[in-house]
Amino acid sequence: MSQLETFYEVMRRQGITRRSFLKYCSLTAAALGLGPAFAPRIANAMETKERTPVLWLHGLECTCCSESFIRSAHPLVKDVVLSMISLDYDDTLMASAGHQAEAILEETMQKYKGKYILAVEGNPPLNEDGMFCIVGGKPFLDQLKHAAKDAAAIIAWGSCASWGCVQAARPNPTQAVPIHKVIKDKPIIKVPGCPPIAEVMTGVITYMLTFGKVPELDRQGRPKMFYSQRIHDKCYRRPHFDAGQFVEQWDDEGARKGYCLYKVGCKGPTTYNACSTVRWNEGTSFPIQAGHGCIGCSEDGFWDKGSFYDRLTDINQFGIESNADEVGTAVAGGVGAAIAAHAAVSAVKRAQHKGEQE
Amino acid sequence: MSRIIAGPFNRVEGDLEITLETGEDKVQRAEVNSPLYRGFERILLGHKPMDALVYTPRICGICSVTQSVASARALADAMGLSMPKNGELCTNLVLASENITDLITHFYLFFMPDFARDTYAGASWFGDIQGRFKATAGSAATQMLPARADFLHLMGLMAGKWPHTLSLQPGGVAKAIEPKERMRLLAIVAGFKRFLESTLFGDSLTTISQLKSEAELWQWYQQKPWHSSDFRRFLHVAEVQQLHQLGRATDHFLSFGAYGAFDEPMWAAGSYRDGQTSPLDISRIAEDHSHSWMSDSDHPHPPAQGITQPTLDNEAGYSWCKAPRLGQEVVEVGPLARQVVNGHPLMRDMISRHGGNVLSRVVARLLEVAIVVGQMEQWIKQIDPRAPFCNHGEMPAEASGVGLVEAARGALGHWLEVKNGKISNYQIIAPTSWNFSPRDKNEQPGALEQAVVGAPVMNGEKTPVSVQHIVRSFDPCMACTVH
Repeated sequence: MSQLETFYEVMRRQGITRRSFLKYCSLTAAALGLGPAFAPRIANAMETKERTPVLWLHGLECTCCSESFIRSAHPLVKDVVLSMISLDYDDTLMASAGHQAEAILEETMQKYKGKYILAVEGNPPLNEDGMFCIVGGKPFLDQLKHAAKDAAAIIAWGSCASWGCVQAARPNPTQAVPIHKVIKDKPIIKVPGCPPIAEVMTGVITYMLTFGKVPELDRQGRPKMFYSQRIHDKCYRRPHFDAGQFVEQWDDEGARKGYCLYKVGCKGPTTYNACSTVRWNEGTSFPIQAGHGCIGCSEDGFWDKGSFYDRLTDINQFGIESNADEVGTAVAGGVGAAIAAHAAVSAVKRAQHKGEQE
Repeated sequence: MSRIIAGPFNRVEGDLEITLETGEDKVQRAEVNSPLYRGFERILLGHKPMDALVYTPRICGICSVTQSVASARALADAMGLSMPKNGELCTNLVLASENITDLITHFYLFFMPDFARDTYAGASWFGDIQGRFKATAGSAATQMLPARADFLHLMGLMAGKWPHTLSLQPGGVAKAIEPKERMRLLAIVAGFKRFLESTLFGDSLTTISQLKSEAELWQWYQQKPWHSSDFRRFLHVAEVQQLHQLGRATDHFLSFGAYGAFDEPMWAAGSYRDGQTSPLDISRIAEDHSHSWMSDSDHPHPPAQGITQPTLDNEAGYSWCKAPRLGQEVVEVGPLARQVVNGHPLMRDMISRHGGNVLSRVVARLLEVAIVVGQMEQWIKQIDPRAPFCNHGEMPAEASGVGLVEAARGALGHWLEVKNGKISNYQIIAPTSWNFSPRDKNEQPGALEQAVVGAPVMNGEKTPVSVQHIVRSFDPCMACTVH
């Protein structure tokens, strides 16, 4: 086997200038929350480390994860990451087709045995012996197990691979399951979201490729750097929640004033993701900023937690029946109650404060 | 006669396989298979109707907005709800933004890279085209991708995120546009227009949208060197490779009508064949299961009473895709169908000469880019930030509704039935379901199955490049097809 190229060499070969490369290192350091001092460390790692090949497989899915990544990311970040990972096998993007592509997959797996990262978008269906998803004449389940056997680590892109997502929503006709149900002997990094934010995807993959290790994960297997805070914690509409100012229906006066969307079903208070800080489409906006509540798409089983347009407190699973109009009378446990109580306390505090001023 | 299975196809959304019977250096017979099934129509049952707005976009990560619009229209129809003018304008803009990015993505990343394959190494045009379009390495993508990402800021601003956008609602949009945002939208569209005029067309959008005949098109092409713009590059390759002789299907076209209010679209709804336009009659649409892995394969099903019960017991079945038919006939949908049904003189002239083919499908796609981006500026200017953006209504406990829309790839329909306040039936017919359908009970092959018959097969080709051009000229979206 010939000496492998470094990431930096691969990038230069792809026509990325040194100036762009350094800019990318700073952007990435910022995205990872590491501070500017880390940019030279990323640069150094990429200049000296051998390139790690990434295989990118698709199961039952809608390609929204790839699309988020290639269509919405900062072009520089996307270019660099794409050239870095070369997408040695990715049936959405790759240049080759048919049997030739299958051969590339096999070759990469043998050449980089135990070293490559397997990125999986979508998930395997188990019903009918896997017949609901066939790739190259074989069930995707077989392809997944085969490719996972010699991988160093697995990235589960999006809510499909992480939790099952929409095809696993009740009644789950194809019996689709997340990756960790069928692959049990490899580290799995879950990057949930439907789709995940492009910058989160590039951040995770850059971290792994530059530092050669799995980022710190929470108990559910999600990288802490992006999934440790609720949307609600950093939401720019949070002051309106605290002030008890809510949108009652789309495009009403409250909506025009940017009030909190909690009463029209926003799941921000129970959702761990980076939307309110990183935002979407290169930091342009995120669903709450466009006037629609969060649907909690990065949470396990978010499909089966009740209607997306019911306010959280209306959800029986959370054990309470009251709503934001009558919060304070709610006594039951669970996250919904905690939020309701939190809203009530915020509103009471505000009233008290107002009283003092008068 | 020999038999080959072409696939998996790269750079196609979802999975696709085609079984080809070849002989005399040509494709003699084809069977299209979508080896994927996800079960959306069954998952939706029993949910609150409004939740369809969150489920259906997940059918596809490429055309998620069109699924949102179809579902919002089906809900609005069931609720008897109309949209304020601002709601229509914003829906148009969000929909156009996705459709246009799909159309140029198809051209730059899916279609043209096939001409950069080594198969064509001997062609006179090869050097330039390879340098420009080779997958993951060509120079065109480095210009197109940043332009596309910037253009999608419009989507971010108006709809929060892409893909799987949330702000599109039955009565309008959740996001009201402020005056300062309107200015920003205009700037975003202007920036994208500059890319299209300088790089893709090498001419103004107005000139392209006003081309009236095939003769005018070739006249325009000859005004400048062929490598002066990407559209001219394509026309040059098309001329040398005779792409107009490749991929003719039924020449029977269907469009649900695009942009604007459903009852008064900017582009007309209907069907077109042999110089005759017929108004749209959705009661003539039915899905045939005779060659699908679906139950109830003995008779066709109108979508309002459709059934989606997968079974591998149907011995004649070879695909998860059903076979939609219009009055029992095979139709083609897509940008070409839209322009032909609406009567654009250039596309009517082109199909009167050589029918629907690889050349006319690609020209129609780019023509549409030129027309719609020009129109987007008008829509933005018409938004009145002080007027309402969304109407409100109640979903009756018993109701039914139909939502029709034109996706980048063609006609998309959602059929909704509500009982006891819950979804009791939901049927979806996607554009690629029409184009890539299997055979029906009369053994009529689907549009693609017809289009690849006669395609040349070069010695030893396992996935013939001619078949790849034809497949991609339809811009298939298999994820939508099989939902």
